[in-house]
Amino acid sequence: MLDALDKELLKAVADLEDIPKGAYNIRKNGKLLTRANSANISIDSNADGTGIVVAIAPGTVNESVHIPVILSQAGLYDVVYNSFLIGENADVTIVAGCGIHCGTESPEGHAGIHEFRVGRGARVKYVEKHYAAGKGSGKRSLNPTTKVFLEEGAQVEMELTQIGGVDEADRLNEATLEASSMLMIMERVLTEKGQTAISRNDIKLAGTDSRANMISRSVIKGDSKQNFYATIEALAKCFGHIECDAIIMDNGTNETIPALKAMHPDAELTHEASIGKIANEQLMKLMSLGLSYDDAVNRIIQGFLK
Amino acid sequence: MLELRNLHFAVDGDDGPEGGEKREIIRGINFTFEKGKFYAITGPNGSGKTTLAKLIMGINPASSGSILFDGQDITNLSITDRAKAGIAYSFQHPARFKGITFRELLNLATGIEEEEQLVSLLMRVGICPLDFLDKIVDAKLSGGEIKKIELATTIARNPKLAIYDEPDTGIDLWTIGPMVDLLKREQKNYGTTTIVVSHNKVFLEAADEILIINGGRIVFKGVLGEAMNLLNDMSICNFKSCCEGDDQNARCFR
Ligand SMILES: Nc1ncnc2c1ncn2[C@@H]1O[C@H](COP(=O)(O)OP(=O)(O)OP(=O)(O)O)[C@@H](O)[C@H]1O
Ligand SMILES: [Mg+2]
Repeated sequence: MLDALDKELLKAVADLEDIPKGAYNIRKNGKLLTRANSANISIDSNADGTGIVVAIAPGTVNESVHIPVILSQAGLYDVVYNSFLIGENADVTIVAGCGIHCGTESPEGHAGIHEFRVGRGARVKYVEKHYAAGKGSGKRSLNPTTKVFLEEGAQVEMELTQIGGVDEADRLNEATLEASSMLMIMERVLTEKGQTAISRNDIKLAGTDSRANMISRSVIKGDSKQNFYATIEALAKCFGHIECDAIIMDNGTNETIPALKAMHPDAELTHEASIGKIANEQLMKLMSLGLSYDDAVNRIIQGFLK
Repeated sequence: MLELRNLHFAVDGDDGPEGGEKREIIRGINFTFEKGKFYAITGPNGSGKTTLAKLIMGINPASSGSILFDGQDITNLSITDRAKAGIAYSFQHPARFKGITFRELLNLATGIEEEEQLVSLLMRVGICPLDFLDKIVDAKLSGGEIKKIELATTIARNPKLAIYDEPDTGIDLWTIGPMVDLLKREQKNYGTTTIVVSHNKVFLEAADEILIINGGRIVFKGVLGEAMNLLNDMSICNFKSCCEGDDQNARCFR
């Protein structure tokens, strides 16, 4: 059912060699390709047929859901609305991601709007990879939105990765955290040539003792451009941290704007931001271990984006 | 095995009235290091010790003069090529990396990936606990930890010439002795020509020969016993701003 190209894309975005075990939903060129439920996880099309609803029963532990999207149809811009309802005290991994193969000069793109409601005490690990390949000159764009609502004591860890091939990305992450909940976002983006990537993040710490940590690592090569905006707003006694590092190479440009808003006297908010070239001392060290200049650069970037 | 011939290093100085002036940091160094010997280089802060070490590794380019290594002129070789020729340098202020572990640095230094071989390498170095292997070599490491890792990556290269730039800074009392023993052992077992830049007497005592650098020149070469007078004499005043009077009639208020 999967051809070689499908498999290559699935491998790149979801680390899948074939159809996964457990619950999954694979979307290809704007349509459902294949789907499976498990005893605790059900996947259904939503009422207006624009996406899926993934429902995870309370107390489900050690299960995973794969919902990759693959695109190889010239001229298609696929928009999908998915919701995730995660029951109390569940502990699951959700693997999303979009792989585009572009073989012509027509543009191809995907916008996934993902909404999560994470029940009390539940834990979710969300992994999303974006990747594009193909010889075609058509523009590949990916414009994902994630909206996360964490109920009391919920914990969400998001790993968002875009490494290579995507010409235009405009991402929006929104999160609201209730009491004692915790959100950790790790975003890694590499752009090159004339690519552009924008990441906007709005995190609202609404409940007492909620915690958020947003880490962004950007590598900007060639003539590419990345902008990073993150705002943490604190409405209660809470803790929030933004850490954004950008490495610029060649003629890349970057704008990084972290913002902190404390609307409560016991809010503790911090940020660290840096933009710059690869540190000379790092290059010198690796070269003194016998690496060539280019190998040293690659090794440093690879570690930075790990 | 390493010959420095009339070596100079100058940088662009602060813009004076006549525009940018060159500032000479290394001012004509001539010296030959012999194979398998242990050298200690000492001298006041800012005298040019690190600059000299970086000239040998190729991190600083020589302004004039030449460097010969095992008979080959390496003055114009890159850092990479000097490393491949058998020179290794432990930085005074080691670089820190986001996302690179000690294991990966050792792997880059040696090509070794097998756990067993890495462990036996750590045993040989002796001063890094096994649980260091998977530590990320980033800003979270303590000052002493990163110096131990830096030293280990240098030894791991099996260099013909090893240069350690103040290897003992931040190192605890219980590790300094073993560190001296380790460098002596490497010298003996592998015939490593060893240069230690240090202010610490234990390294001066361990050395076969001592060089004292001051103002970018070698002002002494020989054994420790003969160096003692000069070392005591060189106690340098760092409080010039509290002096009264010019150089000749100065009065000290310390
Ligand atoms: N690239 C450079 N540009 C400008 N000045 C430099 C450069 N490198 C070294 N210097 C200057 O040269 C002098 C010698 O520096 P160096 O680091 O070699 O001293 P050192 O003997 O190693 O001192 P320490 O004992 O404090 O480590 C210092 O005044 C330093 O500021
Ligand atoms: Mg120094």
